[in-house]
Amino acid sequence: MRLVLGRFTHNALALLAVTTILFFMFRLMPGTPLAAFINENLNADQQQAMLEQFGLDKPMWQQYFIYLANLLQGEMGLSFFQRRPVMTILLEVLPNSVILTLTSLIIAYIFGVVAGAWLAWKRGTWIERAAVPAVLATRAAPEFWIGMVLLAVLSFNAGWFPSGGASSPGMAYSSNWDRIFSLDYVHHLALPVLTLALYLQGLPLLLMRSNMLEVMHEEFVTMARMKGLSEWRIVIGHAARNALLPVVTAFALGVGLSMGGNVVIETVFSWPGIGRLLVQAVSVHDYPLAQGAFLMIALVLALMNFVADLLYMVLDPRVSHGRKG
Amino acid sequence: MKKLVLAAAGGLAALSLATAAFAQGPTEKVRKLNLYSWPQAALPQSYQAAQLIAQQWRQLGLDVEVKPLQRQQQTQLIWFSRDKWDVTMWRMVGRPERSDPDEFLYSLYHSSYAEKGYNFIGYLNPEYDKLAEKQRTQLDREERRKTAFEMQKIIDRDQPQAFLVHPKYALAFNKAVFKEDTVVNQSGIGIRNIWTFLAIQPLGAQKDLIINSNEVINATNPLYIGGAVDSWVTDLIWDRVMRIGPDGMPKPWAAESVTWFDDKTVDVKMRTGMKWHDGQPVTLDDVIFSFQAPAGDKAPMYKPFVTDIASIEKTGEQTLRFTLKQPNTTFLTATLAKINLIPKHIWEPVLKDLAGKPETAEQLKEVSKIGSGPFKLVRWAPNEEILLERFGDHFQAPKVQRWIMRIVPNAEATLGMLKRGEINFLGMFGGDAEVLIKFAKENPDIAIRSEVDIGFEYVAFNNRRPPFDDAKFRRALSAAIDRRLMVSAAWQDYAIPANSHVSPVLSYWHDPAVDNMKTGLAEAKKILQEAGYRVVGGKLYYPTGKQEKLATE
Repeated sequence: MRLVLGRFTHNALALLAVTTILFFMFRLMPGTPLAAFINENLNADQQQAMLEQFGLDKPMWQQYFIYLANLLQGEMGLSFFQRRPVMTILLEVLPNSVILTLTSLIIAYIFGVVAGAWLAWKRGTWIERAAVPAVLATRAAPEFWIGMVLLAVLSFNAGWFPSGGASSPGMAYSSNWDRIFSLDYVHHLALPVLTLALYLQGLPLLLMRSNMLEVMHEEFVTMARMKGLSEWRIVIGHAARNALLPVVTAFALGVGLSMGGNVVIETVFSWPGIGRLLVQAVSVHDYPLAQGAFLMIALVLALMNFVADLLYMVLDPRVSHGRKG
Repeated sequence: MKKLVLAAAGGLAALSLATAAFAQGPTEKVRKLNLYSWPQAALPQSYQAAQLIAQQWRQLGLDVEVKPLQRQQQTQLIWFSRDKWDVTMWRMVGRPERSDPDEFLYSLYHSSYAEKGYNFIGYLNPEYDKLAEKQRTQLDREERRKTAFEMQKIIDRDQPQAFLVHPKYALAFNKAVFKEDTVVNQSGIGIRNIWTFLAIQPLGAQKDLIINSNEVINATNPLYIGGAVDSWVTDLIWDRVMRIGPDGMPKPWAAESVTWFDDKTVDVKMRTGMKWHDGQPVTLDDVIFSFQAPAGDKAPMYKPFVTDIASIEKTGEQTLRFTLKQPNTTFLTATLAKINLIPKHIWEPVLKDLAGKPETAEQLKEVSKIGSGPFKLVRWAPNEEILLERFGDHFQAPKVQRWIMRIVPNAEATLGMLKRGEINFLGMFGGDAEVLIKFAKENPDIAIRSEVDIGFEYVAFNNRRPPFDDAKFRRALSAAIDRRLMVSAAWQDYAIPANSHVSPVLSYWHDPAVDNMKTGLAEAKKILQEAGYRVVGGKLYYPTGKQEKLATE
């Protein structure tokens, strides 16, 4: 329990540091949010009034504490540009990003783990010689390129999938849940997920494969063989279970990382997610929205880090026992 | 041997020329010039044009560096620090209300806009100021045209900046979905305009017009002038007393007739039977309220367009009389065709509530969806789409059932969507024009229409600072630019060369006399030499006695 608390504090401190850095980073960037409202009709007084309204006339340290105090109450402020609460804007797009990321990751990791284990088993065969370069190639290819190729082939030419967006033009749903569970949404989700999954599967696959290769030389595998267990049981029940540990960490961290790293995929597929929102916010100096979006990504990352720690304890008893020994 | 002698002679000649220059007294070298531009990724054509310009200027002996800046940074520098830059790429975009030349004729060069406002280059010319004010009072179109021509000649003479091109925009639609001849071209704007959206007729089962935008909508607020895309939407939801017609001239819209009683009085007869989207009737009080609302301090963007109004009176059941403080020819275009009609019963309480607070009505994203326009707003998801529906009770109800705008940041994907029917009207295309042409050739259902823009791209000189305070220097630099090469190399022929702030598409107001500016490197060198500039060791030097005095560096 103490370990859990320790990890929790650790992550909370990291979040505070991220918040602080974000706050000052945006304010030290050249340019002001006023440039986004360039308007010949604003005189000096009106510009000053606007600064005051945004709270930008106060000293920076004061702005910082106001920001922190508000944040603790779950208040992220109003977007300068969209003039709506940051939280509302984030919550509108967050489900889309989470669904895109999680679906792709789960597909990529299930495929990667199974294929990685299988490839380790097939070491030295022609299958391995063909598959490893292919995996490396998909991992090295830029996401936007994979995305454009898939769009050109499966959407423009074959016409199987829509070219962008999260639902068909003019579709109405009674709630966001209705929309997410609709066939139309899944149809739109398919290509971005495929692209992201293709991009993501390389890491778990290669990780799993090299772990398996190591584990297979361990004594307990030899022991299992001596016990006369079937090859299949050795792979699944003994070797794979041990090789899985680093993959779990990679998965948890992958959720956080790809949450923010989906800017490219979201742009290629016009997917309404947090990445595109972030780019827009940064380009118009919308501090509250950009901070909010970054913070949301950091929060997910910290949370997944924490989950990875917990999972480790469950999967590998040595982690929690180590403290006693 | 002969060659060698010639070379030696040439060298001697150059040397003697150089000595001659110094013999006239010490002169100063023209400092290095930074040519600011947008990054290549943001505006590839403009960036490439900047590179071409820099090459040509270097041949005059100038040290030029192209410096790309992010849009916000560029705005910050050029717009808010007006004495700290030399030269920058810039653009003015076309808008329906710019079909009257006043906006460009007046605000780009009038001295009152030099400190803040559109005359950011700091061009000061009392002669031009007088003409700019005069054309606003000339109700006789012929007379006003003469003044407009005079103004264009002055700008051609002084070259306060170098005009480059009027871009041509190619837009497209699916002619298997819509009857081809029901699409309307608006001069200087193209086919993406309200007249098309009203008249376009579906051929089959698809009754929705689905258009794309690569920009997000900021707000649907009739008291706020947001981005270009915002105005496509507000145009359709809110009516105006007049509208700019496809020919660029204002014509009565919510009014049956608009007549000048004298040069300060306008009589308006409103249509009968108009309704707001909530079913309430549009009254004369609503109309009066719509023009009074921006007069306070709650709609600063619209305020300048109503400040000339002295009073509005009801003169009958359906008639109003606008009295102006001074004669203003642009009143129909700049005010009657610009101010959105808003329902008093919704906005009066909102504005009352704002009174005494620092916020203005512009900060409100979406107060209410209620207008009286041909389309009503149904739903708006900022990063995805906005959905409007036909308003059947309108006096000119559209033929399409719904108007849907999809936000598509990926230019190539828009073509895929056009092919698959996910969109059926290409409202903007951020990609290469050639790609679009090729696409239309391969897809016979797609019809392309292109139109020259009212707006233009130009190189803005900072007239406040030497060497750009010298009209001859500016003229030489402008003459050195090869606009034809630029049109073909940077704009792939999707532009026409420019030398006026009044686009040739506004054929009535454009002065053809300024079209044939003498250009070329030889001409540029000649002008510089005649003005006393000298090239020594490949570098350009100021005329004798001229010094670079900068207010700030």
